[in-house]
Amino acid sequence: MLEDVLAFAALPLAAAVIFTGIHTWLGLQVLRRNVVFADLALAQVSALGATVAVVAGHAVQSAAGYAYTVLFTAIGAVLLTASRGFARSVRQEAFIGVLYVAATAATVLVVDRSPQGAEHVKKMLVGGILSVTAEEVLTCALLYAVIGALHWLVRRPLLAAADNAGGAMPDRKTVGWDLFFYLSFGVVVTSSVGVAGVLLVFCFLIVPALIGTLFSPHIGAAFLIGWVAGAGASAAGIFGSFLLDAPTGAVTVVAFAASLVVAGGVRAFMTGPAAQRRRNRRLGLHAGGILLCLALGLSGLWVMVAPAGDHPVLAAIEIATGIGPERFMTPRERADYIDAAAVERRHQAEVDRLYDLERRSRWQGDELTADEVRRIGSVQQTLTEMGRGERFVISYLRARARERERWYIGLPLAVVAFFGIAGIAWAARQPK
Amino acid sequence: MRVVATTSDLASLARAVTGDLAQVEPIVPPAADPEAFEPRPSDLAKLKGAAVVVRVGLGYDHWLEKLLQKHGDAAVHRGGVGYVDASAGIPLLELKGRSLDATGRDGHAHGLANPHYWLDPANAEVMTGGIAEAVIRVAPELTEKIIANRDEFLTRLKARLAEWERLLAPHRAARLVAYHNTWPYFARRFRLDIVDVIEVKEGVSPSPARLAKLAALIREQKVRVILHEPFEPEDASQLLARRTGAVVLKLAPSVGSLPEATDYLALFDYNVAVLARALSAPSN
Repeated sequence: MLEDVLAFAALPLAAAVIFTGIHTWLGLQVLRRNVVFADLALAQVSALGATVAVVAGHAVQSAAGYAYTVLFTAIGAVLLTASRGFARSVRQEAFIGVLYVAATAATVLVVDRSPQGAEHVKKMLVGGILSVTAEEVLTCALLYAVIGALHWLVRRPLLAAADNAGGAMPDRKTVGWDLFFYLSFGVVVTSSVGVAGVLLVFCFLIVPALIGTLFSPHIGAAFLIGWVAGAGASAAGIFGSFLLDAPTGAVTVVAFAASLVVAGGVRAFMTGPAAQRRRNRRLGLHAGGILLCLALGLSGLWVMVAPAGDHPVLAAIEIATGIGPERFMTPRERADYIDAAAVERRHQAEVDRLYDLERRSRWQGDELTADEVRRIGSVQQTLTEMGRGERFVISYLRARARERERWYIGLPLAVVAFFGIAGIAWAARQPK
Repeated sequence: MRVVATTSDLASLARAVTGDLAQVEPIVPPAADPEAFEPRPSDLAKLKGAAVVVRVGLGYDHWLEKLLQKHGDAAVHRGGVGYVDASAGIPLLELKGRSLDATGRDGHAHGLANPHYWLDPANAEVMTGGIAEAVIRVAPELTEKIIANRDEFLTRLKARLAEWERLLAPHRAARLVAYHNTWPYFARRFRLDIVDVIEVKEGVSPSPARLAKLAALIREQKVRVILHEPFEPEDASQLLARRTGAVVLKLAPSVGSLPEATDYLALFDYNVAVLARALSAPSN
């Protein structure tokens, strides 16, 4: 099992680290150019190319499939380059947004004729980094090394063109470097979206670049910081998905978002200039205190207004303190509450036992007759409905208990929260 | 007479029953996933003028309700003379009555039971019975021809079923893993053991922890075949196959989903033949 865990994690992690490297570099330029969503737009245009290839009868991985994808990406790169010329009166992001939605809608229209269209669109969005192969990792590593080396060689004019974004009408030279940037960016995005999906690639591009920029104004240092942070977030996402038993792509996206929050916290409270750190700590304490008091106060008010509603904060307090709603029931209600929970568990166990009995009979012993299968189904349905009845009883008794509990828990919570907010407001007004 | 069926499997059975007496059309295109299907305006046009509408039921083709609501002809609405829920009378599996439970372990986000009951060929008797009754209710003058068509189909089905059972008999209790929980009826008919499914929640890719657990299970239980459908994402199945040496076998879950599955009987001809071949092959 452990061997499988490591085997399943090794290649996705290698791919994520490689993707983070090239995307951090590109992301830093994207931030300088102020075209954050260019990645999504280009990825969607390349996905449109891949979709057209599939509908035309070519596999995405075939030479024809790749040619379609690169052709569409090149068209996207030209459109993005041209959009800078329009950006004098309107933000370039507006054009990028239009390009994104137009490419998405066109993809939907193209796949509408393909039976597996919905699956194809979903795959382009969420990708499948977990199942990346060694060949794909190697191909991407080689491709990104070549593009990375090219960018390094021409970094000065490339960065000068990026810094000129939003300035005067771009000259011919700048347009040329813009086109080079978007074409190479498109090739990278085309390859990485095929493996990791649009959502994850957006994280690879923007989050490490933001983290790097938080800590250093120098692009080289920002690149290294971003790459290390992105690699850490990738590792946390991939191993976190093992621990949480959740899809890798989604957990990795959340891990990248969390890494940005942590980096923001480190920058604000630990590594910024001393005066700024003191101010941030004070602000952070006040803001955190107010948020906590608001959560408690609103929860207290909510339980007083609607005791039968959902109360996540109250449920957390009940779990932490061991003071559950049954404490506020009459002895008769408590007995019914415990009995209903036990009966519901018993019914569920019987449903599961019958399920296993029927499942085993598919290949073991004598085959069950159609009537026997119908009888099992009927009993399972009856028990499930009876279980629903027990859950209704539990829910009703809990609501009754909460009606009493609200004055012992809800009211004190609201009062404490009110005094907490007043105290914080008073402290904030004191001279520093 | 026009008969509209939600899936290509029901359309194939309706053709077997009506022969050349009716024009039969499916709504979901072959090889598309009916559980993820989004109807289009042209599907509404298909329903107009239909004398009989046949559906899978059990929440599988839940989108039909909306189409029927927009359709004016009460005869093909629920309870109408031309309305057929083909699941009526079927011995359903994994029936729990959790119609609103999206967390059920059977991998179906909606439905009262596992809805893939057409994959037990023995259930075709009940399904064709429901279709024949509706057609006869709508056009009583066709009674004799409809009964003759159905009898002729059931005779062919019986002969083929005996042959399919003979082909898979040596592989009784063979252990398999499936991507989606599509095959319990097929497994029951041909005495196969589907030890687990890869996709626990519909449309949500499996977690790496689940894949590691499945890899261990495949080795421990000596599972040699992973059942896969044409419209399912292959990444997870191929990854497991690479790690364990099991073979990914693409079966046709419905008529037209693979070129060989040209009609209801051909669907089983193909599935049984490729499965028997895969299970007979020497292990890796």
